[in-house]
Amino acid sequence: MEEILMQKLQILADSAKYDVSCSSSGSSRAAAGRMGNGHMAGICHSWSADGRCVSLLKVLFTNKCVYNCEYCVNKRTNDFPRASFEPDELARLTIEFYKRNYIEGLFLSSAVEVSPDYTAERILQCLELLRYKYGFAGYIHAKIIPGVSPEILHRIGLVADRLSVNIEMPSSKSLAAFAPQKKPKQIFAPMRQITNTLIETRSLKGPGTMFKGQRLNTEANYLGPMGLEENVMGQADESDPGADLPVLARAAGAPAARGKGTFAAAGQTTQMIIGAGGETDAGILATSENLYRTFKMKRVYYSAYIPVVDSPILPDKQTAPPLKREHRIYQADWLLRFYGFTVSELFRSGGENLDPDLDPKVTWALRNLDLFPMEINTASYEELMRIPGIGHKSAKRIMHQRRFAAVRFDDLKKMGVVVKRAKYFLLCCGRYYGNRLFEPETIRNSLLQMESGLQLSMFDNDWKRIEEGERQEKLAAAGVI
Amino acid sequence: MIDYLYDGTFEGLLTCVYHHYYTDKAAGIFPREEYQPSMLHGFMEVETEEDKAARVYEAIEEKISGYALRMVYRAFLSDAPGKETVILKFVVLGFRIGPAIGSLHARPEVYELEDLVRKVGNERERMLQFVRFEVMEAAGAASGTAPGAAQILYAKIEPTCDVLALAAHHFAERFSHDPLIIHDVGRNKAVFAYEGDWYVADFDGIHLPDGTAILQSEDERSYQNLWRTYFDHIAIKERTNPRCQKNHMPVRYWKHLTEVNGLTEPV
Repeated sequence: MEEILMQKLQILADSAKYDVSCSSSGSSRAAAGRMGNGHMAGICHSWSADGRCVSLLKVLFTNKCVYNCEYCVNKRTNDFPRASFEPDELARLTIEFYKRNYIEGLFLSSAVEVSPDYTAERILQCLELLRYKYGFAGYIHAKIIPGVSPEILHRIGLVADRLSVNIEMPSSKSLAAFAPQKKPKQIFAPMRQITNTLIETRSLKGPGTMFKGQRLNTEANYLGPMGLEENVMGQADESDPGADLPVLARAAGAPAARGKGTFAAAGQTTQMIIGAGGETDAGILATSENLYRTFKMKRVYYSAYIPVVDSPILPDKQTAPPLKREHRIYQADWLLRFYGFTVSELFRSGGENLDPDLDPKVTWALRNLDLFPMEINTASYEELMRIPGIGHKSAKRIMHQRRFAAVRFDDLKKMGVVVKRAKYFLLCCGRYYGNRLFEPETIRNSLLQMESGLQLSMFDNDWKRIEEGERQEKLAAAGVI
Repeated sequence: MIDYLYDGTFEGLLTCVYHHYYTDKAAGIFPREEYQPSMLHGFMEVETEEDKAARVYEAIEEKISGYALRMVYRAFLSDAPGKETVILKFVVLGFRIGPAIGSLHARPEVYELEDLVRKVGNERERMLQFVRFEVMEAAGAASGTAPGAAQILYAKIEPTCDVLALAAHHFAERFSHDPLIIHDVGRNKAVFAYEGDWYVADFDGIHLPDGTAILQSEDERSYQNLWRTYFDHIAIKERTNPRCQKNHMPVRYWKHLTEVNGLTEPV
């Protein structure tokens, strides 16, 4: 028995690993006589060889798929070993792993076996076993398959902490090209249902600090059925984000789901693939911003496209995954959710793509040097957050200390400010510490010099060499080809 | 000015703080075993006295803040040499300034203490991440009692700071169904927890407090193998990035991590 389970685990982990989200945060649950609990901040238990954290047992329920999405390792025409879990088998495995503190919980996604509803019912069965039979109180992230019926979706939401529906591609054009069986309508219907149910249960929290101080759980945020796909996934280049989004008051007599226990307490997320279609960074981030503003999602995840299957319409198998691009997009995503930036600001007067060499906040600051240098001792919290090298923690500390004593330049480092980056953009007690000409090019060059010396990149710097021909060898050595 | 030597306990340290005010100004406080006599000051071995320690403990809580007291305790759990003197300086400043000390992040006395507290906090976090339980059975219990009843979760770990007690509540609450032991191998002590309650006691890694020995359960090996398999297969080959992996999961913890097979070097 162990060997069969081992094989299934291999196959279904291999199939699930391209799903990016693995967070276990945003939900807190007391054990209350059951096994396990939720930890608000989430816990990463391990890091795999690719440097990605392992927090949840991330597997597909089955990888037998009737769909044939171009980019997907599980596409129907791909010659690949196939397997399915039994609901009870997976529930027990989760419990045993959880008990040994290997994981925070379960991340359950699936290929589409037979039909979306058939697969979703099996997933639901597994999750209900886990929660009710085994009394599991840890974290569950369930992937919702487009096209699933609202009743099953609702029941999955009652046992899961987080739900996600993959948008897959940043534009409807590439979705039609690469995943012809997935329709935007089928993707947005469950997203809308989740957001509306979260409003009904008064638990919609929104992304980061984007809607701080606003009341989200009101009828005004209730989403109507019309026109979502055009608004979210359209060629959103010039359109003003947030304008004309289809928000409707709840129809009279619609069922309210209050008082039926928690529904997806950690909210919903989604993910999209970067570098498969021809989208620009601006287009990708505009789609994300629309998702945040419309559905108030907790997060959008990005996944650098890794060529796993041969396809005439996708980048070929020698292409290195655009890891650096993915990294810069994530940084920009953080600017949207936590730093009060908008996409149109980030790309105003400066191309369609992010600068690969500098982080998006520095790029933005260099383009808007007229706002700088800012005096640390008088700038507002929002202004402080816009200085490169200052994050919310250091900004809060600065605000706090300012009430008692002026913040001096020497204090900044101790407060957690990245001084070597921030010093070009700030004044401290009226003095500028940048030591250079206050011009975009000069500052840019000194920042670049500093960062090449520091090897800022999160990634193996080998990629450049690998692009030049060693990739084949490396892949062969790793047993991929 | 005088160097105080204490016995390594929190109460001992607080007694030294008491003597700083009522006997002679302290130049520094040091653990008895590690002290190297200095040319500048004399030294005195301080006898730990519960009532003196309690007075300092309460004074910190009342005159500075409960938050400051927790910071001091956390800093004490650090493994950094010289932590005692850092704590002394913080407490002395705290008695002068009062509760506002919590916001003076740039003062060296505060900054140094916060630095220790942060490191201890990180180490506690790593306990939550990297403790790996093995399911054990008390030897001889398998025949008589009901199956499952004698199951014990057992983990070995070697944290740099003495954070067992800080992490105990998390595990005691999470796994309240099974008795569990988290064994700090380096310090020869362990957390024993069951049904939400826990205590810390000396432990040799073999015998339970009541004398019974514990052995690995039958299916433990196969779950360990399953976990290793999962761990190997979840990595994306094209994104291999050992430096990132080791940044997050420092190699010094690998010894007790099931998924890397107790290796000390990555393969």
